[in-house]
Amino acid sequence: MQTNIKVEVKNLTKSFGDLLVLDDISFNVTSGEFLCIVGPTGCGKTTFLNSLTKLYSITKGSILVNNEPVNLKKHNIAYIFQENSTFPWLTVEQNVSFGLDIKKVPKDKKKENIKEVLDIVGLYAFRKYYPVQLSASMVQRVSIARAFATKPELLLMDEPYGQLDIELRYKLEDELIRLWKKTNTTVLFITHNIEEAVYLGDRILVLSNKPTKVKESIDNHIPRPRSIVSPEFVKLRNRVTELIKWW
Amino acid sequence: MMNNRYLRVFLKIFSAIISIGAFLLIWHIATNGTKLGELMPGPIELISSLIKSTYTNIGKYTIIGHILFSLSRVLIAFTVGGVIGILLGTAMGWYKTAEAIFRPFYEMIRPIPPIAWISLAILWFGLGEIMKYFVIFLAAFSIITYNAFAGAQAVDPVLIGAAKMLGAKDSRIFRSIVFPSAVPYIFAGLHTAISASWATVVAAEMVRASEGAGWLIIQGMEMNNMIQILIGIIAIGIVGLLLSIIMRGVEAKLCAWSKSGK
Repeated sequence: MQTNIKVEVKNLTKSFGDLLVLDDISFNVTSGEFLCIVGPTGCGKTTFLNSLTKLYSITKGSILVNNEPVNLKKHNIAYIFQENSTFPWLTVEQNVSFGLDIKKVPKDKKKENIKEVLDIVGLYAFRKYYPVQLSASMVQRVSIARAFATKPELLLMDEPYGQLDIELRYKLEDELIRLWKKTNTTVLFITHNIEEAVYLGDRILVLSNKPTKVKESIDNHIPRPRSIVSPEFVKLRNRVTELIKWW
Repeated sequence: MMNNRYLRVFLKIFSAIISIGAFLLIWHIATNGTKLGELMPGPIELISSLIKSTYTNIGKYTIIGHILFSLSRVLIAFTVGGVIGILLGTAMGWYKTAEAIFRPFYEMIRPIPPIAWISLAILWFGLGEIMKYFVIFLAAFSIITYNAFAGAQAVDPVLIGAAKMLGAKDSRIFRSIVFPSAVPYIFAGLHTAISASWATVVAAEMVRASEGAGWLIIQGMEMNNMIQILIGIIAIGIVGLLLSIIMRGVEAKLCAWSKSGK
């Protein structure tokens, strides 16, 4: 059973000066799992991801990937940011190619990878465009394609659809599920949108207000494709809403 | 819609012709009908002299020859200043050590106008070409370095994070992220620097030269030849404008991805 654990977070604590943000958080993520992390706005969700990727140093505790301390050079981890993170001076194709170039993927294989991911996100026809020529949702799809192109073993997503309208969000969520199923990547998806978490996750980790602790971990066995109006969906959504309520 | 656009373009050109035409007419009347004619040549005389200067020598060369002399001085010194400025500026903006070592020295020379160095440059390098290159270099270098520095500092941290997550090492981040994101800033610097270099070459040539646009002006003053002075001034204006247009063209090509390149 132990070998199936992809990420192990043990007693993770993070403070900025006197301000305690993450307070003794522990949980595991199994390989190939789609884990959604929800919590009230400002509860430290992004801090958690930034600690995981070593963009921030952690105050106490440990984060293990494949049973060893997280190491960006060794572990193939991709991160999709809340903000637009495409490189504006590169075309769509060059953006997707960036990670593959660093990993020195052979030319033929690279071409194949790029075509595959751009086809899935529906941007192959736009491969010669610059991000400035695309809409917000297309730009976010470039980031998603870029992340998946490197075939990451772990994908971290920080409210990637926060700035998109509801219709596009549904479309991209379905796209994400397709990519996830195809690649069998382990996904950690952070959101403050409860419906999104219930729609996407195999499991939902509910965080508390600051200083952040894990309030509850809820398994989500609703069969896919999920309907947001089905009684079981509504029931689970209401349960998570109750847990998250701070008013 | 279409008609409206054509009408707008037509009105723009028409008003430009009217405005320039009116200026030339007033100038012509003023220099022909009043005492101003003793201080200033009329537009017709000036334009015909300007055309004549393209095939008759003023001093040793035609106006084209003089411009090419000035231009070659500017382009050599501007290129050297540009390359060093871009490298130093981006390095100072990204690497803390480079900033700690070079910035205090740079900040010391930055506020000094390049023309202030002319006397010292003459003592160091004599009256020849090196002196001119040196002061033009300083003009270009200090502006471009500052802009490249500001550009490298303004790089979006999200892009740095994204590159790190994709496995980029520090040197790769500098080359592939910091440098390209500083390019629009660098171009803004190049625009200003080319004008400053062009102004500086004129000043340097006024001090000592036997050819060039600056020499034309100073020689005209010594000979009390107003037409020659004005030809020099017009030549400087036209070349300055052309340099700026070329620079904009290069920017549009290299910065097609950014709003400033449009």
